[in-house]
Amino acid sequence: MSGVSSEGMNDRGSLGRIWRIARWEVTRSAGTVDRKTIAVVLVLLLAAGFVGYSAVDDGVGLEDGLYTVAVDEESPYYEVATADRTFRTVDPGEPADLIIYANGHVNPAETAKGNAAHAAFSDAVERHNEALMIAESDTAAAFPVSVTLVYEQREPLEAVGDGDLEADDGDDGTEADGDSLATDGSSDDGTGSETADDDASAIATPEFGGGSIDDSSGPQTPGSITPPFPFQSLVLAFLFVVPMNFVIQAYGSTIMDERINRRGELLLVSPASRYEIVAGKTLPYLLGVTGLVCAIALVIDGGWLSVAAVIPIALLFLAATFVGAMFARSFKELTFVTVTISVFLTTYTFVPAIFTDVTPIALISPLTLVVLDLQGESVRAVEYLFSTAPFYLGSAVLFGLGLGSYREEDMFTQKPVPSKVIDSIATHVRGKASVFAMPIVFIPFVFAIQLLTVSLVFALPETLSLPIIFLVAAGVEEVAKSVHVYAGYAHSRFDSSVKTALGIGAISGLGFFVGEKFTHVVQLVGLPDIVEGQAAFGPTLAGDSLLVLAAIALAPLVLHVVTAMIGALGASRGRRSYLVALVLATAVHATYNLGVIVLVL
Amino acid sequence: MIEVTDLRKEYGGFTAVEGSSFSIERGEVFGIVGHNGAGKTTTLKMLAGLIEPTAGTAVVAGHPAGAPAMQRRLGFLPEQSPLYEEMTPLSYLEFFADLYDVPSAVASERIDDILDRLDLEHRDRELGNMSKGMKRKIAIARALVNDPDVLIFDEPASGLDPLTTNYILEFTSELSEEGKTVVFSAHNLFHVESICDRLVIMSEGTIVARGTIDDIRSAYGGRTYHVTSTPGAAGTVVGPDGVDAPVAEYARENGHCRYVVTDMDGVDAVRTAVEAVGGQVTDIETKTPSLEQIFLEVADEATA
Repeated sequence: MSGVSSEGMNDRGSLGRIWRIARWEVTRSAGTVDRKTIAVVLVLLLAAGFVGYSAVDDGVGLEDGLYTVAVDEESPYYEVATADRTFRTVDPGEPADLIIYANGHVNPAETAKGNAAHAAFSDAVERHNEALMIAESDTAAAFPVSVTLVYEQREPLEAVGDGDLEADDGDDGTEADGDSLATDGSSDDGTGSETADDDASAIATPEFGGGSIDDSSGPQTPGSITPPFPFQSLVLAFLFVVPMNFVIQAYGSTIMDERINRRGELLLVSPASRYEIVAGKTLPYLLGVTGLVCAIALVIDGGWLSVAAVIPIALLFLAATFVGAMFARSFKELTFVTVTISVFLTTYTFVPAIFTDVTPIALISPLTLVVLDLQGESVRAVEYLFSTAPFYLGSAVLFGLGLGSYREEDMFTQKPVPSKVIDSIATHVRGKASVFAMPIVFIPFVFAIQLLTVSLVFALPETLSLPIIFLVAAGVEEVAKSVHVYAGYAHSRFDSSVKTALGIGAISGLGFFVGEKFTHVVQLVGLPDIVEGQAAFGPTLAGDSLLVLAAIALAPLVLHVVTAMIGALGASRGRRSYLVALVLATAVHATYNLGVIVLVL
Repeated sequence: MIEVTDLRKEYGGFTAVEGSSFSIERGEVFGIVGHNGAGKTTTLKMLAGLIEPTAGTAVVAGHPAGAPAMQRRLGFLPEQSPLYEEMTPLSYLEFFADLYDVPSAVASERIDDILDRLDLEHRDRELGNMSKGMKRKIAIARALVNDPDVLIFDEPASGLDPLTTNYILEFTSELSEEGKTVVFSAHNLFHVESICDRLVIMSEGTIVARGTIDDIRSAYGGRTYHVTSTPGAAGTVVGPDGVDAPVAEYARENGHCRYVVTDMDGVDAVRTAVEAVGGQVTDIETKTPSLEQIFLEVADEATA
């Protein structure tokens, strides 16, 4: 809304004030860094980008010209030596690590390097020959025996049938037909796997839950077959995350600046609301990161999908930094916070993306979407939603949490971080409606932590991974159902009678039950097809009778209400009782999860 | 212009302000006095809308405290006014004027005027390179860029040299004469006494005294008369019991007697009693207690 105020001043409205604060933030921040520092940082960033891109594009190059080879231009080996950058050719007669005579005899220098050069040259010749065979038009003559290789998931679950996302061909083993090398690939279902990259190192992606190895680059020899590891796309995707680590340092500092010596008090007393202030201060950094993301996408041939996938990551980086800067008590503590955020979020986004071509768990990271985009694959809307929704929602919740503290009474006080978290949550706890809504708000974190746990332990044996997942999944849900109740009690929002505690607990449990239904999106991307996914999110229900389905649908409601009541009862009795109640509620919840899995499977 | 009703603020189990009620007229300079932790700053911040009251209401310039419409008509000078030190006075003031939606032409003229009145030079120098007094003046200028009706000054002269302090006090009086309502807190009671029309004294979160300076003086201490006399014949002296009027204080100093009474009837009673034993009144001194003395007395009473 904008207009003219009663005092005759033009009221530009909320957006106008946000924009004004954003402009001020840019000019003010620019004033805090001298030009030499900016220049040095820019040069370093450009150099890092150039080196990174060059490394991906052409290799690191450290081995270029490592060995000298004395070979005549007429020799058939001359082409091998010149094609491989490891070797530098010299004229016959000149000193060299390797001498190749006209008769094909190879004589290495009597040094360690000479022997190494010999070995490297033998490999190079082998690769050269393989390349010639692959280039042969009569593939049957070049490769009389062909094997179609299909990657399988580890220890597939018997109960899991063909998932919605399983490849159409349904092949789940190794097939040797002896006559056809072309596999149906994944383009049949529209997701496509036509790699735009002709680089031999870029192996096409098998479908989630099945699929095949390659459909476009022709046959490969056994020696050149490697597990699907999208190295090049992964490194390029990582380039998106790098600048975020720098931007959050500046962003965290500017938020912290407002809290040091009560600087921010003057903005708080202005007509700008705290929401406008935070939006205005955040906007330049968000726009800056977006600009960088677009520029990187342009340089590495990333599409709009890459940009759309990275923006929520940037948002979460900023949101987490905002909360960290609101809770940190000093710049020293802020440094610790931002480094933690950098490490955690980089790990959270990067590690799952490594498994882009292996398992649907990879989709918990939006960086996986970037990898897919760079490999020329399309992504379904539900997959985009699955990857990015926790980031968008998590960012919103974190900004909301930080905004709870962005007021005079909290932002200038020096309290331990846990106390500030509780204070911040308590600012949102006002009445029963908020008790219902808060667990829903926490769902993205519950979802993210459960997904992260799955991604971290899915490689472990199930005897170890399942108990961990049961406990973490139950624990995090119990925290989400009760922490706001505890915050409310800590700020005397409720009376501490047993009746009230049970009532509040029941409302919170109900709220969580409703919110939890949102997590069923995981079923759309095939996560329950793996054992760890079932442990965290429950099994797929298809095929069960209506009665069983109804029981399974309602049982969680009872569980959440009961365990939330336990938590609320503990919260009403103080911190120690709350922790004890939390452990008890987690135990009940984990037991229930185990029971359901055993019953259903 | 300001109406405060039963204002209360609690932090956890601690009550910072309890049951504060007062009203302030347009153009008045209203003082809030109290020792550290008395609740002055909390009260001022509740008026400014920075802190949400636990109970009670504060209406400023016709709007609830904290409402955007109210904040447009408010100039707030906190006790600490850290500036964005990488900015220049001009850019700093222009930013805040813009934030208050003051048209740039008006803002430019107003900023020049305020800086002239505050005798501020070096308008393009970074704020970080300015003296404490200059920074305080900039902070006051910032509180005025939106031409507010109400000014809340929390310790405006805190830590400044006497010259700058006087300057700021005079400037505050001028603002009041221009019709602006000023709420003013200070530890230095001389400052309050010199510019405030009315004041409240706060102790432990509650208002323990209120009114004009004269009201408070008469209610808490008022004027006293110090009567000095010689002893009577053969060194006879008249003690406080021998005077036919209440004697607040009595002492013997250097062979003389000193009586402190609260009115002229007491003076007459002392004179009559002294002359009755052959003595003579040699000096009568009228004393008015400072606000500081009253404050100490009131604060002591409240604490007791």
